Amino acid sequence: MRPIRQVYSTTVSFIGGVTNVIKSSSKTVANYFPGGIIGEIISGTTSASHPKTKDLHVTTIFFATDIHGSDICWSKFLNAGKFYGADQLVLGGDMTGKAVIPFIHQGGNNYRITLLEQVFDITNEEELADLKKRVRSRGYYPYMTNPDEIAELEKDPARVSRIFLAEVLKVVQQWMDLADKKLEGTGMQVYCSPGNDDMDEVDDVIRSSKRVLLVEGQVSSLDGHEMIASGWSNITPWATHREENEEQLAVRYEAMISRLKDPQNAIFNIHVPPYKSGLDEAPELDKDLRPVLAGNSMTPVGSTALRAAIEKVQPLVTLHGHIHEGRGTTRIGKTLCINPGSMYEQGTLLGALVSLGRKKIENYVLTTG
Amino acid sequence: MSNLFVRKATGMVRSWSVFDAFVYAFFSINIVTLGFYSFSQMYFFGGGMINSLVLSAIFLIFEIIVYASLIAVMPRSGGDYVWMTRIFGGGIGFILAITGWWFTLWLWTPIYGDMLRQFVLTPLLGVLGQKDLALWFSGKGTPLFVSTLIAITFVSIVIALGMKTYARVQKYSFYAGMLGLLIVIVLLFTGSHDSFKAGYDANATALFGSPAGAYDATVQAGTDAGATTPLTGGTLNLIFLTLPWLVFFNLWPNWGATLYGEVRGATDYKRNFSGMAWALGSVTVLGIIFFIGVARTIGWDFYMQSNGAWWNYAWAYVTEKPPLPVWPYPALLAVFLTSSKFIQVLVILLMSFWWFGWAGTLFLSSTRVIFAAAFDRLLPEKVAELNKNGTPINAMLLMVLPAILVSYLYAYNVGAAPDGTGGFYTATLAATQGIAIMYFGTAIAAIVLPYKKKELFEASPIAQMKVFGIPLISIAGVIFAGFLGFLLVEWMFDPWLNTSGEGAGLYGISFKNTNSIIFLVVCYVLSAAIYYGFKSYRKKGGIDLDKVQAEIPVE
Repeated sequence: MRPIRQVYSTTVSFIGGVTNVIKSSSKTVANYFPGGIIGEIISGTTSASHPKTKDLHVTTIFFATDIHGSDICWSKFLNAGKFYGADQLVLGGDMTGKAVIPFIHQGGNNYRITLLEQVFDITNEEELADLKKRVRSRGYYPYMTNPDEIAELEKDPARVSRIFLAEVLKVVQQWMDLADKKLEGTGMQVYCSPGNDDMDEVDDVIRSSKRVLLVEGQVSSLDGHEMIASGWSNITPWATHREENEEQLAVRYEAMISRLKDPQNAIFNIHVPPYKSGLDEAPELDKDLRPVLAGNSMTPVGSTALRAAIEKVQPLVTLHGHIHEGRGTTRIGKTLCINPGSMYEQGTLLGALVSLGRKKIENYVLTTG
Repeated sequence: MSNLFVRKATGMVRSWSVFDAFVYAFFSINIVTLGFYSFSQMYFFGGGMINSLVLSAIFLIFEIIVYASLIAVMPRSGGDYVWMTRIFGGGIGFILAITGWWFTLWLWTPIYGDMLRQFVLTPLLGVLGQKDLALWFSGKGTPLFVSTLIAITFVSIVIALGMKTYARVQKYSFYAGMLGLLIVIVLLFTGSHDSFKAGYDANATALFGSPAGAYDATVQAGTDAGATTPLTGGTLNLIFLTLPWLVFFNLWPNWGATLYGEVRGATDYKRNFSGMAWALGSVTVLGIIFFIGVARTIGWDFYMQSNGAWWNYAWAYVTEKPPLPVWPYPALLAVFLTSSKFIQVLVILLMSFWWFGWAGTLFLSSTRVIFAAAFDRLLPEKVAELNKNGTPINAMLLMVLPAILVSYLYAYNVGAAPDGTGGFYTATLAATQGIAIMYFGTAIAAIVLPYKKKELFEASPIAQMKVFGIPLISIAGVIFAGFLGFLLVEWMFDPWLNTSGEGAGLYGISFKNTNSIIFLVVCYVLSAAIYYGFKSYRKKGGIDLDKVQAEIPVE
């Protein structure tokens, strides 16, 4: 098991937005700590630092996940608090994109780009800007290059990986800058735990942000509701950056759960959905990663360790992603489990608004923005 | 030269098999259950069956383009419901899709039940020597209701098994069913009309107790019923008038297409299109081969006469049972060509897979729509609950209980005239009508998509698919919507009704069929009531459903 690198404990609360979609019955703004990560940084799983508690009133969180590099989805996410009237923003994992699109210089103002297997021949700056925007809207990264470099890159996968990482980090940095700018003065911050598809290097970029909090492995407090968060998933066929077996996940979850003061009133923000919850149904794949039976055979791929933890602890609500087509809600015992799904490639931000009261969920709804 | 660098990330899968996609589309326009059933009811038309089959396939190609395009732009989004909601906003998508994918399927339930007894129970019991039970199952009222209850039970088990298991059941059923159909075709192409005639007389009497001379008596009964539909020919007008009934069989190549998987490029669009188009083409060719085989051995006129004899009785235009007192199932007629009991039983068993492999579609799509509506808070949370085995019990009850009520109305033909004509049993085509109305909404959504959701379209894998600068999806949408508009007008204002609105009518679901109209109106009113009722209820609870579906500003 990889070490759980850092565990924070935070206490923050936020002023709600202007236009409420879910109306909160009452709110308090006591204990407002702008930019405020408070509490001590602890290492490993040895210490429990409980969040500072306060009176529980209704607080509304907006949760979205798996935006995979889409500029449009990130902008919408940052605007969602105000748009929906949410108090807190929570971003599940998998914020980085999956493909780099070479813009191959053909001389002069001419470029050749292949997007979604369609060839575009660009002849002027306006078209170039427009296509870059289209590429970014789908979560892909435009890379300005030329035929000679492309020929070299085809022989050098390591260099392609370096380019990929650089493009990913460049965009994540842009996103952090945008968040700092857009959320400044709003009282809102983003609770973010990178997912299994996000490279480790992403964490350092997030740490540099004032408004985006890296909460992987932490117990945070959202207006008095404790939240644990992890972007780690069970083993996938893709050998991604943050995945481990079920036994290791169980240890990871227990390390956070053991530090909860009020587990039944907590939020579990865990990227992978619980096993056989209906939120984890993905197309069954053969050994070549080809969907069998034309994608009609759906199979549960969630975490058994997480399911066991939810069944045992019965937290108030759990937030998940990972399976884009698993949009839905379900109950495991008394616990409300939510996977808002993802349509990042369409520039549509799927999300969930959840109003949390004292030991109960006042209301919730899935959103399509 | 590289045009794309991808990395290892969750969901980066290879393309699915076009053959698998073909199998599902092929099964959705089921040549046996939907085909044989509707062909047999079409005994009174003037357009040639082969001509009509080909013409309908030409129009349905545009349906395939529309759906393959929508999947490419908005893959795995939940199909018609989400497409219409995203493009039109508001309640149109909900009302049309809930009625089309959920309420209309209540009416399909007794039709599936009817097919179960006609394709499986009656012929199987007949060839196994259980004459009395076979004849009982072919009767009106209770036998149909019982058969429907068996069908509901089977489909409920399918839902409980889940898609992973059922997808395999479907694929194995495809192979078994195809083997059965191949034997039927071989029998039809190797037999002679004389041997069929002799076999018909012998087996009708031996298996179902028909008096001697069943063949000649069937010819007479069919002629009296007005069996006229030709194999080929007919004027263009008569061929067009045949289509509104024929589409009961082949309007569905897109069924299940929303599950085809992530679309990553133009190639995947083409795979999607190919899966459905090959299915439509293959089924059309198979239908033509079947018709030619029937004409060769059974005799085209006799085939239509036996159909007319049966449905004239089933629809209560006559009270006397036809000489062959069971539905003239083509596979049953084909096994009359052999005296081998083993082959008879084997063929009927193999052909039954066409029903078992297809029947699960009855509730599967409905369950998905019920879940989607519950997730949008337009139904209570409870309806989307799974039990410990992962079975959506409450969603199933929302399908099963109303379906039992509708099946009762259908089986006992509630609303029939004193002479037995009319009634709920004649509302069969309304099952197609309800879904066609939903498709019409989707076709309109496809037409406007490139203009109303320009950025989404321009960043999609079909952005460059244009004809004279007009997006292909819009052109296909216009043609498909036009075709659906034609169907809807013909169904509603039946051309065989006279100027006073009286007469038998061609399709039976015109404005004169109050049962059909009431059923559809109730469905739409119910879905509108659910939408606006829950919207109001949620608003009181603090949720603005319009806002949660509205696009968040980007800037």
